[in-house]
Amino acid sequence: MSMLKNIQEDFKQYLSQANESDAFVQLRKQAFVEFEKLGFPTTKHEEWKYTNLKGITERDFLATCETHQSAKAVFNSSIYASMQAHKLVFVNGTLSNELSEVKDIEAGVLIGTLAKNRTSHEAIFKNHFGKYAKVEGEAMNALNTALLSDGAMIYVPTDHLVSKPILILNIADATQQNVLAQPRNLIVVEANASATIVEVYLSTGANASFTNCVNEVYVGANAHLEHYKIQQQVGESYQNNYTQLFQEGNTTINHVTLTLEGTMVRNNLHFYMNGEQCNSVLYGLYITDHKQHVDNHTRVDHAKPNCFSDEKYKGVLKDQSTAVFNGKILVHLDAQKTNAYQRNQNILLSDEATVNTKPQLEIFADDVKCTHGATIGQLDEEPLFYLRSRGIPEREAKKILLNAFADDIAEKIKIPELVALLEQQIDAKL
Amino acid sequence: MLEIKNLQSAIEDKKILNGINLTVNPGEVHAIMGPNGAGKSTLSAVLAGRADYEVTGGEVLFNGKDLLEMSPEDRAREGVFLAFQYPVEIPGVSTTNFLKTAINEKRKYQGLEPLEATHFLKFMREKMELMEMDKSLTSRSLNEGFSGGEKKRNEVFQMAMLEPTLAIMDETDSGLDIDALRLVSNGVNKLRDGKRSFVVITHYQRILDYIVPDFVHVLYKGRIVKSGDASLAKELEAKGYDWIKEEVEATTI
Ligand SMILES: Nc1ncnc2c1ncn2[C@@H]1O[C@H](COP(=O)(O)OP(=O)(O)OP(=O)(O)O)[C@@H](O)[C@H]1O
Ligand SMILES: [Mg+2]
Repeated sequence: MSMLKNIQEDFKQYLSQANESDAFVQLRKQAFVEFEKLGFPTTKHEEWKYTNLKGITERDFLATCETHQSAKAVFNSSIYASMQAHKLVFVNGTLSNELSEVKDIEAGVLIGTLAKNRTSHEAIFKNHFGKYAKVEGEAMNALNTALLSDGAMIYVPTDHLVSKPILILNIADATQQNVLAQPRNLIVVEANASATIVEVYLSTGANASFTNCVNEVYVGANAHLEHYKIQQQVGESYQNNYTQLFQEGNTTINHVTLTLEGTMVRNNLHFYMNGEQCNSVLYGLYITDHKQHVDNHTRVDHAKPNCFSDEKYKGVLKDQSTAVFNGKILVHLDAQKTNAYQRNQNILLSDEATVNTKPQLEIFADDVKCTHGATIGQLDEEPLFYLRSRGIPEREAKKILLNAFADDIAEKIKIPELVALLEQQIDAKL
Repeated sequence: MLEIKNLQSAIEDKKILNGINLTVNPGEVHAIMGPNGAGKSTLSAVLAGRADYEVTGGEVLFNGKDLLEMSPEDRAREGVFLAFQYPVEIPGVSTTNFLKTAINEKRKYQGLEPLEATHFLKFMREKMELMEMDKSLTSRSLNEGFSGGEKKRNEVFQMAMLEPTLAIMDETDSGLDIDALRLVSNGVNKLRDGKRSFVVITHYQRILDYIVPDFVHVLYKGRIVKSGDASLAKELEAKGYDWIKEEVEATTI
């Protein structure tokens, strides 16, 4: 068997029980047709040149809602168990009632699952689902749309402020077999509203896991969103994570992706600025070792004038790990006075680590300010010697310098537990 | 305390130190002078343990232990301190945290408990007052955006915090204004306790008016070619190096 065969069987099974008159079912059918037409991406695709799914898709990965005690243990031993937050915890794509905790939310605010709320909040679902993450030409999005398991559905109405972070935590539980999980999250923050979303990916079990996730995020005029993506899947774990944010005018989005673990992680983070005076921060940090592979593809669509995007991705690579950064900035024809800033900086701690970095600017307006740059280097000898000459041991000195390197990313994180996690991870990886 | 015997060093096959001999006893102040490119900074870097300089011969004993065998951090924790000619800027590392780490690493090495936060801060305040360091400097990243003189003062401030037994000061006086020079010298003199030793590398006699040396050495082409007392510095200030260079050339022919 192969993942493709598993998927085809799953879809047949799904259709046999589905109500064909439901528009949602139709949407999924179309998505499946698109997926079958495209097939899994291969390294022949320009966008997938450095990230090879072949070895994975030839193996069996089964969608399952089975969970085991170990998923609970992983959650309970994580920093998230004690975090002050609304928590939606999914194991292999299915909500765990036991681990989730949502209480004291204001009337009108929705923090729930797609499965439960898709029909009860039909208007929201119809207006936003599938509207941002496109399926055409995007095989992995098509696959997710066709066979999504479940996911969060978050709705923050106009003028509402959700002060506690909303945690969307996915655990891949590969205790019994290789698992495929396809979480799908829909987040809608209406005008003048404000929310903090923390997406977390954990895993457990001796088998392999493949998480194919799609996030659609709508941010209404004057709204503010804090968005964090924390990737910590251990063991043999593969992840494809596609996130499309759609922002109206005068919005501010602060996004940080921390890729701390994972055999292979592919992220697509896309921003679409649909109004003026948007302000977007896209920051990322990846810390890799062994044979880890982390691929960050980002895209910022400056579709309207007077918007600002500030992008910075930093990487620390050890052993034979590899990283890819591909940052696309698209300044549309009438997006005058765009200010776009992009940086990718990498520190290689070993001779065998590799980085492929590529900025891509496509500018159709004439009055814009775009800067970009990429660096790949080693930890500077001089500061290292300076610290050691004051009695600080080499390992500790490296840790101090790497924390300093990660400092501007950490500064964008407003949840102290996550900053501490970052520091702890630097220490652990050294 | 410090015995340098026939020390030779090269960088990328270029010989820079050609057999240095120098003994520093507890409590002594030695000044090292010499023309640009003579090897003064190289000597201090080799003593501090900088890896790019290969030691091609000779030995260095510090309190009887083989200094050249030790890692840079162990040398520091054994009591060697180098005030750099060009202190490096380290963005993102707070001066205060850096010093706390350095002091506690030294204490750990000596088998002592880490300093309590309040003790550390009190100690730091004392030393800041001693060096008339502005509070804003220690709250900033290490040396980042510091003026030349501020960096030098920060070196001496760190020296005061780390209380070494041997301090090597590489042109700490260069770039200091007249008041700062007095301040730095006072700071150094307060640290002179009859046991702590200093190697002061300088181009100018002026600092030696404040920190009076027991010995003055002239380093030239990787060798100490002349040694004397404090009056030698005055003579150099008046006459320059040509007469010494001539003496050296005459004897080597
Ligand atoms: N990293 C290096 N690579 C090549 N040559 C070097 C390096 N470091 C020092 N040198 C050379 O070694 C010689 C001695 O340099 P050093 O910095 O020790 O001189 P110095 O006596 O401190 O001079 P100054 O008074 O100008 O500070 C010089 O000729 C210098 O160019
Ligand atoms: Mg020098």
